[in-house]
Amino acid sequence: MNKIIYLTFVFTIFSFRTQPDLPDLSLKSIDGKTYNLKKDFSEKNKLYVFSFWATWCVPCIRELAEISEVYDDWKNEINFEMIAVSVDDSRTKQKVSPLVNGKGWPYTVLLDTNNDLKRRLGIIDMPYIIVVKNNKIVYSHSGYSPGDEIELFEKMKTL
Amino acid sequence: MRCTILFLLLVIFTNTYSQEEKAKGSLTGSFESNSQYYLKDNKRSIEQPDKPFRSNSYLSLVYNYKSWTAGLQGEAYLPEALMNLNPKLKGIGVGTAYINYKSKKVDVTVGHFYEQFGSGLLFRTWEDRSLGINNAILGSRIIFSPTSAVQFTALGGRQRSGFSISDGLIIGFDADINISELLQKSKSEFSLGLSYLGRHEKTTLASPNFKEMTNGFSGRLDFSKNSFSSSVEYVHKSKDAILYDMMHINNNFVKPGNAVLINLGYTKKGTGFNLVLRRIENMSFLSEREPEVVGLTQSSLTFNDKLLNYIPSLTKQQHFSLANIYVYQAQKLVNLDPGTNIGKAGEVGGMIDFFYDFKKGSQLGGKNGTKLEITLSNYNNLSGDYTLYPPDYKTNFPGIGQKLYSDYSIEISKKIKSKWRGSLSFINQYYNNKWITGAANVTVKTNILATEWDYKVNKKTSLKWSAEHLWSGDDRGNWLSGLFEINLDTKLSFFASDMFNYGYDETNNLIDHSTDPFAIHFYNFGGSYKAGTFRLSANYGRQRGGLVCTGGICRFVVPSTGFGFSVSKSFRK
Repeated sequence: MNKIIYLTFVFTIFSFRTQPDLPDLSLKSIDGKTYNLKKDFSEKNKLYVFSFWATWCVPCIRELAEISEVYDDWKNEINFEMIAVSVDDSRTKQKVSPLVNGKGWPYTVLLDTNNDLKRRLGIIDMPYIIVVKNNKIVYSHSGYSPGDEIELFEKMKTL
Repeated sequence: MRCTILFLLLVIFTNTYSQEEKAKGSLTGSFESNSQYYLKDNKRSIEQPDKPFRSNSYLSLVYNYKSWTAGLQGEAYLPEALMNLNPKLKGIGVGTAYINYKSKKVDVTVGHFYEQFGSGLLFRTWEDRSLGINNAILGSRIIFSPTSAVQFTALGGRQRSGFSISDGLIIGFDADINISELLQKSKSEFSLGLSYLGRHEKTTLASPNFKEMTNGFSGRLDFSKNSFSSSVEYVHKSKDAILYDMMHINNNFVKPGNAVLINLGYTKKGTGFNLVLRRIENMSFLSEREPEVVGLTQSSLTFNDKLLNYIPSLTKQQHFSLANIYVYQAQKLVNLDPGTNIGKAGEVGGMIDFFYDFKKGSQLGGKNGTKLEITLSNYNNLSGDYTLYPPDYKTNFPGIGQKLYSDYSIEISKKIKSKWRGSLSFINQYYNNKWITGAANVTVKTNILATEWDYKVNKKTSLKWSAEHLWSGDDRGNWLSGLFEINLDTKLSFFASDMFNYGYDETNNLIDHSTDPFAIHFYNFGGSYKAGTFRLSANYGRQRGGLVCTGGICRFVVPSTGFGFSVSKSFRK
């Protein structure tokens, strides 16, 4: 009986699909500035792509590296900005800034050190991407296989 | 009972949701289930457990309406938790539940919450499902931010342990002040943090030589300007009885603890450098002084239960499988063992990270550029005077004693044309088993060469392969490992991998003579499907016994053979 209730609930949940707001949380960037998710990423009709990643997550780094190479080309076509949200905890947090600079990535990099935002968004698998438009989460995607970045680009053109 | 509560809460949740629909409340959440079907493996002398199918499932919901947020996490360990997880994680129940109110200046939480002061050396509560850790505090927390530059936190409660709470009462305060913002200096960043954490636990001792209240204080400074950044943190834990045999306290073995963490970084476009130094002495801080006995011989400490602070090993988190056989664990416990002649009270060491980007078009960069990453780490025991019996010690400062571990690795990664992307790594490790784990007197030195490549067949299909070799004259000798993976249409993926310990020699001085006493293949096959935020995966293979580490915290897993399944989904409405 318990299992049936449990499964029914799980399946109900699985069928959910709409566009919630971005949570009202503030995170620090690698250069020490505080960003409020609602206020600082709110230009009208601009797409904000938040990529959740960590220094120990190889596919995350692949994805961010692939996008960094085509970043300027994409920006010419779409009004968008990429924000890399590191979920590194204090074990690896100090690697974030050297890694980002060492790789020469052009993104704003935020630190979600105790994973408050990650938990709030129900993120399990990494990397995890959300696209935000007018403060609404309009698209999300987890995991990375080569080619996913093209799908993301095609998707963004329709948003 | 638990199940009924969970169900009722879920009903309330969904109903609240439908009532609030017009008012635009939002629901986000996730579901994750990991299961194993354990099999008999004759060659490894592994018997099938009584309950061969086991699973851990989590359903997490967060409902937000204007300034109010409520969260609930249901957990199910059915019919039992995966092998070697905390036996207190049993059945189905509410793992965490909270209500939060947040305005511009005030943030109040009642229920379970996660918190971290500074780097977590004094206090951190967090969740790590793969390790079975969820040490949230059940109580209340208030965060007050009079301006964006200043934040005060006050909290109190008891720590979650399994589906119940532990005995110690926890109180904490933290102040985080961004001084440069207060002084409106934007050219540099300067901030200060001060924290307190207290644990009150009654003792049954008639005349204890320690106080029932244990106090921890920490201070931290962060400074950065232009390309330069630095931080320093100091933690002091007041005098408290020490676990002299990892299980029991001794009324005559009472000492304070401390930790120092220093970080220096220099970064600019194309170059990154970071140095971290850390010394810890008697820094294990638990919500109950003595670990709880769970099962026949194990203690809550084995399962990382009741931890109040976070002391990860500051070493490179390796992704190659052969580099994860000999993994360092930070030495936070005091251990004086007349049986092995080991006397240790902590560790001292550090790590250097260096990243460099050889630009496109330069001699070493080639057409697509080349990335270089070097990581060096080294840890030693604290030197000093150790008396094994009756237990006592006095350490030196900084006190670089017996070498415990080192890890030197260099990785070059490169994109070749537009289809190939790969890396080549060399790793050298030194692992002193006796001094790190307190068990067999074996020191292992390894050299590992590993390479990994992605090949894009077309826009949506790609291949991945990796090859690794580990050279060692110690313990189980040489290893060879390989992986092949194919990704179809970015959604489907299949893999096959093997780790082959072809250098096994039973006459060698081994860390463990009884587990897998032959040249073993750890083979694994599997596949996964992902679409949007949904992921389903299955695999079959052999799991190596020993330490499995995530985020610098390790747990022991039993050697096993079998099937694994996992499913996850994030959702929102």
